[in-house]
Amino acid sequence: MWFSRLLQRLFPPAPTPAALYLYLAFALAGSIVLIVALHRLLGPRGRRWLIVFVTFIAGLFFGLEYFYPVHGDPEKNFLTDWIEPVSVMLTVVGALTVGLGIYSLFQVHGRALAQRRPGWHNSLAFFLATFAMLVFGLWEHYLHLPQPPPDVLPWPKVVYEILFNGLFAPLQAATFSLLAFYIASAAYRAFRVRTGEATLMMAAAFIVMLGQVPFGAWLTSFIPADSPAAFFRLEMLGEWVLRWLNTPAQRGIIFGIAVGALAMSLRIWLSLERGTFFSEQS
Amino acid sequence: MSPDLFILWAAAIATLGIYTILYRENPISRLFEHIFVGLSAGYLIVATWALNLEGKWWNPMIHDRKWYWIFAPIVGALFYFIYSRRLSWLARLVMGLFFGVGAGTFFRQFFPLFAPQITACFKPLDYQAGMGFQSFLFEIVLHHWIFAIILFTVLSYFFFSLPHEGRFGRGLGRSALLGRWFLMIAFGAMFGNTVMARISLFIGRMQFLLQDWLGSIIPWFAGRGL
Amino acid sequence: MSAPQPTTLSDRIQQIPRHYVYLLLAGVVVWQLLFPIRLPITPSVPTRGVYQAIAAVPDDKLIVITTDWDASTQAETGPQTQSIIHACFQNKKKFVIMNLQPPMGVKLANDLAQEAAKEYGAAYGVDWANWGYKYGYENVLMALAKNIPNAIGDDFYGTPVAELPIMEGVTDIHQVGLVVIVTGLSAMTEMWIGLIQGPYKTPLAAAYTAVMAPIYYPYLDSDQLKGMLVGAKGAAELEVMVDRPGKAVAIMNVQSWAHVLIVALILLGNLGYLFARGRTGGRQP
Repeated sequence: MWFSRLLQRLFPPAPTPAALYLYLAFALAGSIVLIVALHRLLGPRGRRWLIVFVTFIAGLFFGLEYFYPVHGDPEKNFLTDWIEPVSVMLTVVGALTVGLGIYSLFQVHGRALAQRRPGWHNSLAFFLATFAMLVFGLWEHYLHLPQPPPDVLPWPKVVYEILFNGLFAPLQAATFSLLAFYIASAAYRAFRVRTGEATLMMAAAFIVMLGQVPFGAWLTSFIPADSPAAFFRLEMLGEWVLRWLNTPAQRGIIFGIAVGALAMSLRIWLSLERGTFFSEQS
Repeated sequence: MSPDLFILWAAAIATLGIYTILYRENPISRLFEHIFVGLSAGYLIVATWALNLEGKWWNPMIHDRKWYWIFAPIVGALFYFIYSRRLSWLARLVMGLFFGVGAGTFFRQFFPLFAPQITACFKPLDYQAGMGFQSFLFEIVLHHWIFAIILFTVLSYFFFSLPHEGRFGRGLGRSALLGRWFLMIAFGAMFGNTVMARISLFIGRMQFLLQDWLGSIIPWFAGRGL
Repeated sequence: MSAPQPTTLSDRIQQIPRHYVYLLLAGVVVWQLLFPIRLPITPSVPTRGVYQAIAAVPDDKLIVITTDWDASTQAETGPQTQSIIHACFQNKKKFVIMNLQPPMGVKLANDLAQEAAKEYGAAYGVDWANWGYKYGYENVLMALAKNIPNAIGDDFYGTPVAELPIMEGVTDIHQVGLVVIVTGLSAMTEMWIGLIQGPYKTPLAAAYTAVMAPIYYPYLDSDQLKGMLVGAKGAAELEVMVDRPGKAVAIMNVQSWAHVLIVALILLGNLGYLFARGRTGGRQP
């Protein structure tokens, strides 16, 4: 394609390392100049139209590539070859957003530490943990240990394993395992059969809860597996509830979500939405 | 002392530290929560650099001298203007890019994802030749008829375009009521599975505490239940 | 202002202090872990579907196991991943691990695969590999469909994936024979179905936490998913099928009695509610 040949001519790899740094400097400087120029030259209306235009083109590219007729072997259209490089570029751009959340965390805990607010030692623990994982995580990565790893591990790798498997994973697992207690307590206190619908919900929950576990299968194991009454074995009943009662209900919900999501995607693509992101901040 | 023992004890202390919250909110559990958030933030940075940016951006840009990759961090840096009131429109520019990408990819996914859902709704509802009474009862009546009735009534529950008045509207209203009952069955099934999932998480932790940690101190505990 | 103390029997039945409920649950779990009552586990149809999908992959194609989970669901997704890896090794199928979110999953899955590889004498880079955590959601999948080496870049250890022997001849999605999604996050399956299974007809199987599984039964019904593991139950069933009973089977032994306890607690609460309603002549809210 002429456009891809033009791009290859415009953006060839740098011939030497020195040329690389020169090209990088010019690209950086040029981008800053462009951004400053856009900021100064475009007023609020111009900025909004630029955002609308970029949103539209981004959606059009991916949507059009899917719907535009294909030909040849392998089947493709004039946009197909661009899907992969554009997608890879977008993954890199998106990965750089990692700093947004990290910056917010640093801001909150940094302030707590600097102002010695109550519980400031927790913020200190946060920073120590972050930097420990950062240092030893990168150190472990750059050790480039062979596969399988040796029996005697280098000490940075050991520290990393202690941080990961000794603290990070167990802390997360333990935090989420607390939900077992909360659901037991909540089910006992709040699940009341005040209406017919609640009774139906409870009956379905009991069938599924007992049908999914070996105890439920054992309870009704006296019913022969090859008889018509096998339908009433708890594991069969539980599977029937999930497969033939739950499935059509979930599918009805899926259809509702599908239509709603399509409408929402169209509105976002065409910038018809109003809200905090979509309108200019005062 | 072997590193595995360090890991075991660190994990046990961390787990028990979190579990102290079951009695009441206390400084120990709060400390461990902050340590967890810190480790999570650190690991996110490590994984993003080591498994994404280094291979897909830094190496092509520096080692393969593909200088145009510099535009990726420049575009990505626009996100950070969200913190500036004057320049926040630049962040909205790149967010608009990603919203557009999201919309475009949803259009691509729509038909492959949902069209088979529509075709799978059509199941045989009549007697098939060669089918015995038992097959007809279990496959057609208990499965396909019930499937069709539930699907229709649940869809009518979400149909808000017509009021539930008049002869047709009242019929629609009754269908919607039935749909709500069937939705309750689905939610009950979801609740049952939710209980199963949550309890599993706790059992997993207790397996570690009893079999792995206590088992390293008192051999009788090791391998119990396995 | 503290809550009023329960006075009647029906109130006391409905308001057992939560710490006693916690102790009961912990007690049942500890009892069964130490003195298990083992009951048989029979693989269900969705679980068989996963095993059959793995066994049916042609020998010249790759299995991609996406480990989109972390320690928060490790009790369910860990044994699921482990038994899927065993099924791949036993059927002599080459597989790769990858992850779209969260980053922790690839490290946890890598540890499981390394342990299993020792048992089967499997070599990293030849019989299995770890593509690592790849940020980008749909963008990764769209790139992966067209050009896997470019989309993935480096593996978990920093080696360009194109240099791994397992990747010889693997250029795009057509060399992938099966994708097995192991996840505790919703929305991952929809991406894989919409961008990979639908357009390229790549077979897809899944392993979910029990919370999510009911939502994905419609995809099993429409044959967009070849099979599905449901939480620890599915993991236990697959462990039985690959003849490696482990943590999931042990969990299911305990799970039975925990469920009996939950059912008993709900019934107890409702008994108290019904007594109270009867006492006030049906006017209890």
